[in-house]
Amino acid sequence: MTQSSIQSPTPVFDGDLFTDDVLADPYATYAMLRELGPVVWLAAHDTFVVTRYREARTVLASPDLFCSGRGVALNDACNQQTAGRSLIATDGDLHSRLRKILAHNITPRAIRHLETQIQTQADALISDLVARRSFDAVEDLAKSLPLSIVPDLVGWPADGRDNLLQWAGATFNFLGPLNDRALDAVPDVVAMMAFAAEMAAGGRLMPGSVGAGVVDAAANGELPPDRVAALIVGYLAPSLDTTISAMGSALWLAATHPEQWELLRRQPELIPNAFNEVVRLESPIRIFSRVATNPTSLGGASLAEGARIAVLYGSANRDPLQFPDPDSFTIDRANAGEHLGFGHGVHSCAGQGLARMETHALLSAMATSVARIEIAGPALRATNNLINGWERLPVRVVPGN
Amino acid sequence: MRIFVNQERCEGHGQCVAAAAEVFAFDDDGLTVVLQDPVNPAAEGAARAAVRRCPVDALHIEEQG
Repeated sequence: MTQSSIQSPTPVFDGDLFTDDVLADPYATYAMLRELGPVVWLAAHDTFVVTRYREARTVLASPDLFCSGRGVALNDACNQQTAGRSLIATDGDLHSRLRKILAHNITPRAIRHLETQIQTQADALISDLVARRSFDAVEDLAKSLPLSIVPDLVGWPADGRDNLLQWAGATFNFLGPLNDRALDAVPDVVAMMAFAAEMAAGGRLMPGSVGAGVVDAAANGELPPDRVAALIVGYLAPSLDTTISAMGSALWLAATHPEQWELLRRQPELIPNAFNEVVRLESPIRIFSRVATNPTSLGGASLAEGARIAVLYGSANRDPLQFPDPDSFTIDRANAGEHLGFGHGVHSCAGQGLARMETHALLSAMATSVARIEIAGPALRATNNLINGWERLPVRVVPGN
Repeated sequence: MRIFVNQERCEGHGQCVAAAAEVFAFDDDGLTVVLQDPVNPAAEGAARAAVRRCPVDALHIEEQG
């Protein structure tokens, strides 16, 4: 046998990517995975994983070869439950049709009319928090704007809002491997779906809301009625936890990189790029998976038809082959906008326009009134299977014009 | 070099306009239009970066001989 005919085996990692310790600080583990190879077999989770940018982008940009319709979670129970039902777990024409129905209500142009209102809310919130000086950046800041905007936008009734964040967190835990976090999430996942189904059937979503738009679309025969509940949940959960994660991370990064905050204050036109840099460095979604529809090879790994392959967004976004000095927070980084933190391609986050609008508004309000942000107590990372972010982040702000 | 917008896919996220405002703009519907056809040689670098940034893969490049 000649040297060239020997296939180097796919690297294997047998550790658990979802322990509390790894979830709290995953980047050293991600760097080690990238060193192993662009595609690694995760023995503990029974899936391939893409660790580097180029291969991750290839997977996301090739929905025919790497499909979503057999689910994008890391466990069979969740995949069987969601496959072909939720927007993120459909393919082809069905996906295009559902995406149009869902996304056309929340595209940047559809929500342009919210911009002034969102900026006014952001200004008022930041003004209050600056007056207080000390507050929790997650509880008091990051959660506030999405919770005051998203449920209204979706049309969620006032009596169903108390559990929203708990339900959304559970939805994301259930998308991970079937560990204790995923199993513990099941009652909340079921409760949220049951409530959403009630909303879908009972005409209880506020008239004119995007959620009511989905119910109307089903009534008009544009989509099967049994998909409505999953689609509505698909608006809510991702619009809350992800934005909250990104905003918390933005505050953490601003506090720990005062020179970058200075730069942002001097050049507020950098805010959109700075937000991309936050999403690159602290990608809110950790991982989603696809299934190979044909035998193929990727990054030196041979994948059989039906093989599950996961994309590790937080690792791809710190790939030094794509982003020089990848662990540094650089708000004027030239290619920050090429991150995969919102995914990429046909399944790219449909709500990213709203996420940008909310976070740009908050950062813009802060840039004009906050000279410095300081960490004021013990910060605590959240340990959700799918969402990367902060649970608690006490800060103190120093006002300044 | 020419750039084409897949209007079925474009959702108006505006990352291309932010990356290369001399090449891309929004039309009245908030969707992307290409202002230079073909793209001015001086703007090709920025235009390529803008194409890479499209979150929904709605832009594609045709190179000319």
